[in-house]
Amino acid sequence: MCLGIPMRIAAIDGFNARCEAKGVERDVSLFMLQDESVAVGDHVMVHVGYAIQKLSQEEADSTWELLDQFLDDA
Amino acid sequence: MTADARTWLRRIERLPLPHSVKIMNVCGGHERSITMAGLRKALPGNIELVPGPGCPVCICPEEDVFEAIEIALGEQVILLAFGDMLRVPVNRPKSEPRSLEQARTAGADVRPIASPTEAVRIAQENPGRAVVFFAAGFETTTAPVAAMLAEGIPDNLSVLLSGRLTWPAVAMLLDSERPGFDALVAPGHVATVMGTEQWRFVVEKHSLPTAVAGFTPQSLLAAFYSTLRQWLEGRPFLDNCYPQLARPQGNPTAQRQLHQVMEVVDANWRGIGSIPASGFALREAYAAHDARRRFPDHADPNRKRAGEMPPGCDCAQVVLGRIYPDQCRLYGKGCTPRNPIGPCMVSDEGACRIWWSGGLRENRAMAEKTR
Repeated sequence: MCLGIPMRIAAIDGFNARCEAKGVERDVSLFMLQDESVAVGDHVMVHVGYAIQKLSQEEADSTWELLDQFLDDA
Repeated sequence: MTADARTWLRRIERLPLPHSVKIMNVCGGHERSITMAGLRKALPGNIELVPGPGCPVCICPEEDVFEAIEIALGEQVILLAFGDMLRVPVNRPKSEPRSLEQARTAGADVRPIASPTEAVRIAQENPGRAVVFFAAGFETTTAPVAAMLAEGIPDNLSVLLSGRLTWPAVAMLLDSERPGFDALVAPGHVATVMGTEQWRFVVEKHSLPTAVAGFTPQSLLAAFYSTLRQWLEGRPFLDNCYPQLARPQGNPTAQRQLHQVMEVVDANWRGIGSIPASGFALREAYAAHDARRRFPDHADPNRKRAGEMPPGCDCAQVVLGRIYPDQCRLYGKGCTPRNPIGPCMVSDEGACRIWWSGGLRENRAMAEKTR
């Protein structure tokens, strides 16, 4: 649960964002980031369907490197 | 391992460490990265990495799992829980449902979910039925549950909350006579939500080297290096090796929502006992969505006692970092991910489950006995 999945925002509708990672799309809530400026194209760290913080593309990539390794091991 | 990670490793190898140093982590995600990246083997032998209380499923009190099972069976509700919770066993006769999964087999409508947003959707799709979301987790999970409630949920949805704060368990260990570690690697995503400052007490009150870490091997190794240097120089400070996400004050919006919806209360931890100001409870204003109030007949106060692990299971010792998973008498001997006996073997964040997935199959307790 605590690992978090970095995703890229593809579209925003109110507090709901359509996010994408590795070709998979998910609805993600931006309710916990409502005081931040969040835009399409930004990367967010997603926990149980909620974006908890923005992050850079570089940080998203390095986390995905790790997640890919876990998926390979599993 | 990346070039960056190898550089941190070489820096650690060059440190003049005289004897054994124990670094504790309190996050299942950290433990998974450490185990999967093989960091224990890669590090010099005098550095011990101890998994501590970092698995919310493992410390979720037995009486809460029991209450969820009883509500699911007795109230004809749709009972939702994060997938990990479904297989956690409680202590009761074999003829009765011992887990939410067994309750489902016995006819209860129990469904695994991955997000609070799914709970809202299922409640909207089933307006004629009561839906109960059994929400166990640390701040990273409890804050989204608070966000869900703050945003507003359907009348037929209620929450059986079993949220916990991470730092009070570390404070409890440090206040004990036997903390069992020399330095702390603090959880990166808890700090992302709650702020890195939450961990300052470890340095200021207990003079223990501390670093907040992310989840990549390079972030973890940077945190190990930082705490080891602090330890060698006798100058502990609060370092942040995850500044990309974890800010000193965390996510203020998330904290505001948590505060709006929940209050901090004394709470029971499975295998540990009650820890002051370590749990979340719904505030009065959200009483209508509190499953404990809506279905009050299923709590069993007699189950509220410390150390209620299954017989023979050493999960309590594993959770506190007093022993390693393979030192439990049941590890791999009757307790495996396929047939878990203790919660540490059930959850993806449990140290036993992580070590088993990492390929560690020998039971050290047995090996030491036969030697």
